[in-house]
Parts: sequence; structure tokens; C-alpha cells
Amino acid sequence: MRTFPLILAAALALAGCNRTSQEQQQPQEKQDANAPVATPAPDGSLPKTTITLYFPSATDDRLVAETREIVDTARPAERGTQVLVELMAGPKDKGTLPAVPEGTTLRQLWIGKSGIAWADFSEELATGLKGGSSDELLAVYAIVDSLTANVPQIKRVGLLVAGKERDTLAGHVDIRRPLPAETKLAPAPPSPSTE
Amino acid sequence: MSLPRCTLAAIAAFSTVAFAADPVAVRIAADTGGASTRVVLTFARQLTCTTMEAAGKLRIACPEAIAVDASARTLDDPILSGWATEGDRTLVLSLGAGYRRADTFELSNPARLVLDLQGDRQGSATTSVRAPAVAQPIVVLDPGHGGVETGAIGPSGLEEKDVTLDLARRLKPLLERQGLTVVLTRDEDRVLPLDDRTAIANQNRAELFVSLHVNASKRKSAVGAETYFLSTDATDAEARTLAAMENKAYAPADQTGGSTPAAGAPDRGLELILWDLAQNTYLAESSRLAELVQREMNGLAGTKDRGVRQAPFRVLMGATMPAILVEAAFISNPEEESRLKDVAAKDKIADAIARAIVAYRRDVASAGTH
Repeated sequence: MRTFPLILAAALALAGCNRTSQEQQQPQEKQDANAPVATPAPDGSLPKTTITLYFPSATDDRLVAETREIVDTARPAERGTQVLVELMAGPKDKGTLPAVPEGTTLRQLWIGKSGIAWADFSEELATGLKGGSSDELLAVYAIVDSLTANVPQIKRVGLLVAGKERDTLAGHVDIRRPLPAETKLAPAPPSPSTE
Repeated sequence: MSLPRCTLAAIAAFSTVAFAADPVAVRIAADTGGASTRVVLTFARQLTCTTMEAAGKLRIACPEAIAVDASARTLDDPILSGWATEGDRTLVLSLGAGYRRADTFELSNPARLVLDLQGDRQGSATTSVRAPAVAQPIVVLDPGHGGVETGAIGPSGLEEKDVTLDLARRLKPLLERQGLTVVLTRDEDRVLPLDDRTAIANQNRAELFVSLHVNASKRKSAVGAETYFLSTDATDAEARTLAAMENKAYAPADQTGGSTPAAGAPDRGLELILWDLAQNTYLAESSRLAELVQREMNGLAGTKDRGVRQAPFRVLMGATMPAILVEAAFISNPEEESRLKDVAAKDKIADAIARAIVAYRRDVASAGTH
């Protein structure tokens, strides 16, 4: 059993994020710390699950769903981290655009008891935006909608940049508080995680 | 290298000591270019001075000694004829015949006292008969971005901050012709915090707040105009309370060297709740104003209708009046960028917004009479 969290941690580290080890999870997550991440199949591979990511459309200013396979894990923060890592890795379909500026990495994700997740990104998330409110809205809600659609425990998402609170990423969207999913920008998420 | 550095440190230490005993430095600036005369006192540190009007003078009395950079000045302005210091704590503004009343408000970071001296520039003899009790309604125009915060930049290098200021300056006289007093949150190319923009509208008791922007997208084909008002989700009281509690109960340990959601701002949650709910009261009116602006923008040749939208825009939060944000065009699109360089096209945008504001006020007035 002991090797599986390591495999997962290695997978996450490869994808460019840090500070995701269990020791750094918040207290409310600790109660899950001994729960198995996943039960391996007889051949030793980890079970997978399908998630839905939201990327900006290349043809209008809405978010478009794309699916990915991730390692199935019971821990919300690990699941959420995988969601963000896949989102930052970029779109695969021709009809979609990157959700966050190039070079953006996740520093940490933690989830509070009442369904609020705080996602702390590197400064590229703010400095890489070119100043339009459309791009800013889509970046914010690609993150918020992708997290809330795939992690049932997450109802709202707060954004931090380089460990710090900000008013906005690029002068428009208020990120002083956690935001709920914006369903007007995206089709309804397939999983029953809407509040 | 080490010697100059030491000297610098010594000077810095000395000036810190001297600072407490010295008078508070005050920079004074007067703008007589608008409908009102605006006097801005910028203090080197926080100082709460009181203003008192008597016998054609407006006295600004401070609790400590002040050092005003321009201690006496005479102006050729019917509203404000000049100023002079009196003793070491008081600044006296001499009011002209055109002066009617003063609206004052304070801003912080840096500490400022702003005095909007309302009155009349043209022939004070005829206007003295006019009842001064009826204050002119105020519209606050907010040119987006400014200074190093350029906003979006077009393919040929046109900057959003310049376009928004230009649009505001075009819109101002159109509204003034309709009997409105227009206050620009910035009338120069400088950084202005989002909080200050709303504060200027609130302190002026403005009737309307209109933030002017142009949009940009990674999609070069993105074109058109849209008008925003605040999303209801953003002002959802329950969510706000929840967020505030969450902040307090689960402040994460500081592992990154930066601040955390709750660190250093214990009352931030409550402050946010109270302020941001302010716009809640005006959402219906904001929506109506946004629709009228969008309708007029749609009437402009070659403008694609992107509709009225809602978003949790920071600058609209906390406005205690109907508040909208107009995205007049896409500066990221080469064709729309060149239109934003065209004087006639910009006049048309200003015209459209002015017509919408006039229509909105007519609607409100007629609704009020029934």
C-alpha cells in the first residue's frame, strides 16, 4: 500500500507542481490521510477515473469541456490537484485554447471544511494575462469550473498568486473571495457536484 | 560601494527622526478645467483636517503643523480666487463669486483631502439668482487602468488606458450639456486603485458610475461591444458570510513566505460583506442602465452585439449607485483597434453612451412621477 501515494506524488511532481505532499495538507484533510489513495488492479496499475476540464473556446468566448483520465483518489485535494495539473497542461482539441498563461504552475491547493478550495498559483497566472477582461474571466472560470465540476467537496474556489491574496488577476474580476462556478460560461458539469 | 550605502542609511535614519517633529508636508493642486474646481491636498502622512466655510473663505484647519508646497496663490477662476496659509496649521481658500458649495472627501494611500468646489464659471451675476439648493446630479466616469497599468495593448501598440481616458473626455462635455456634473476618477495618465474609483463615486454621491474599458482576447477574431453589471453571485450574502467564516477558521499556515487568506486582515471578511452588498440594492437599475447602453452601442455601424453580461468585476463592488462597466470594442482586433484611433468613431461611442445615460435618467424621472 505504501508505494501508491509515492507513485501519485511522483506523477504530480512530474507535472510541474509542488507542495502537494500529505504533510502539507490542511488539518481537515488529515482525517483522510490513512485512507487508501486507490486500490491497485491485479497487474499493479492504478485505477483511473474520467474528469471534465473547461477550456476557452477558440471560436467564441465560452468554456468548452474536454475529458481526461486521472488516477482515481479518494482525497479531494489530490483529486483537485490532478484536475489543475491537467488544466495547466493545456487543451488537446483544436477548438480550444489554453486556460491559463504559459508557465503557470500550481504552488498549492487546499480544501476547507465548508467546501472552499484555495488554489495558489505562480505569478504567471497574473503577469501572463494581457489585460482583456474576456481572457481574465475565462482564466478564472476555467479554474473554478474545472475544480467544482470534478471535486464534489469543492463548492467555491479562492485564487492566490505566489502565496498572496490579490484583488484581481489583471484589473477586472474580483478574486478577494472564493468564487462559485459560473454556469453561464460553460455547459452544466456532468458530475452531480452543483450546489 | 559600501560608503555611499552607509551614508544613505544614515540620512534615512536621520530623516525618520526629523520627520516626527517636522510639519506634515502638504502638496496642493487645483484643477479649474472642469465644471467644478477641484482642490486636492496630498498629505505626507495621515492627517484629518476639518473644513469650515465662513464669509467667502473655506478654512482647512489641521491638528498639526503643515508645510504647504505652494503656500499662497492667486487664481483667475470665478469659483476659487486663491489660497494662503494662516498660522502653521490652517490653509484658507478664498472663494469667488461663482462659488456655490463644497463637496469634500478623503482618500487614503496617499492621504488626500479632495474639495470639489461647485459653482458657476459663466457670469456669476445672473446665476446668483438661481436657487443653489438644487444640486446638479453627478455622473462619475471611470477611465479604466492608467499609468503603468496599461490595460490591454492592441496589435499596433495602442493602449487601453489611453483609449478609456480619451472616451471619458469625449463623453464628459456631452453629459455636461445635459445639465449633469461629470467627475472623472482620473483625468491624467496615472495608476488609480480600484477601491479609489468607487470611493470617488460614493463620496461624490454620484447618481451613476460608468467604468469605461476596451476588451482584449487571445482570439484575434473577437469583436464587438458588451456592457456589464455586477453578477448576483458576487453579492450573494450567504456565500459572503460563509467565505468570511472559512477565512477565519481555516487560515492555512504560512508555508510560502507570502500572506495567507486571513493573515494580517482579520476583519477583511466582514468589511467585504458590508461593502460589497452595497451594489446589491442597485442591481435592477444597473441592469437597466446596462441594457440602454448596450442598445445604443448596438446602433453603431459595424459593432457586433455581445450583449449585457454579468461578472464579479472588482470596480463595480461597493458602488452605492447604479454602476456599469462598458467594454466598447476589442483593442486586440486590428480593425477595431484602428477604429479606436479614429476620432469620429470614438465620438460616436461617446455619443451612444451619453444618449443611453440621458434615456436612463428620463426613464427614472418618468417612473418617479407615477
